[in-house]
Amino acid sequence: MRNRVRELRAERGWSQTELGERLGVSRQTVNAIENERYDPSLPLAFLIARAFGLTIEQIFLEER
Amino acid sequence: MESILSTSTFHMQSKQYLKELAATLAIYGAVLSGSIELLTHVDVARPWRDLVALSPMLPAAAMAWVILRELRRMDELQRRIQLEALGFSFAGTAILTFSYGFLEGLGYPRLSMFAVWPILAGLWIVGLMLARRRYQ
Repeated sequence: MRNRVRELRAERGWSQTELGERLGVSRQTVNAIENERYDPSLPLAFLIARAFGLTIEQIFLEER
Repeated sequence: MESILSTSTFHMQSKQYLKELAATLAIYGAVLSGSIELLTHVDVARPWRDLVALSPMLPAAAMAWVILRELRRMDELQRRIQLEALGFSFAGTAILTFSYGFLEGLGYPRLSMFAVWPILAGLWIVGLMLARRRYQ
């Protein structure tokens, strides 16, 4: 699944480690999500959306 | 284990985990040497002899508990990586030990049960490297 996590994190000037701390996950997990190698669970997707103040649909894009 | 956890909170948990793992490993080593020493130099009667021989398994059980607790603390991707690595080692160990078991039937030398776990651990490490690469 495509996502805008890297772009949104860069806009806020957060490092992967900082975002990981906000989400309670490791830096590797943030990296895997940004590289679209791993799709997060629904609870983690909600946490990501909350961290950026957006909805899940504004961050995760359906592949067509 | 270092790269399993990497944010500062994760680092603190990881440090605690490594400390606990090192402590249980040290106790295991001490109890193992004590039991070998006792069984070599003292003539212990039968039921007690077995218990002394099995005594290192108490700190080994504590080690297993420390590892299981660490698995429960991991985030969802790290747990998935562990699952893939453990699945790889589970299947690989089955293939290797059964293969050798069939060869033993043909007269190959009998191997100790102690040979099984190093195979499992070695394949777990290979499995971790493969699974981590997949999610990089």
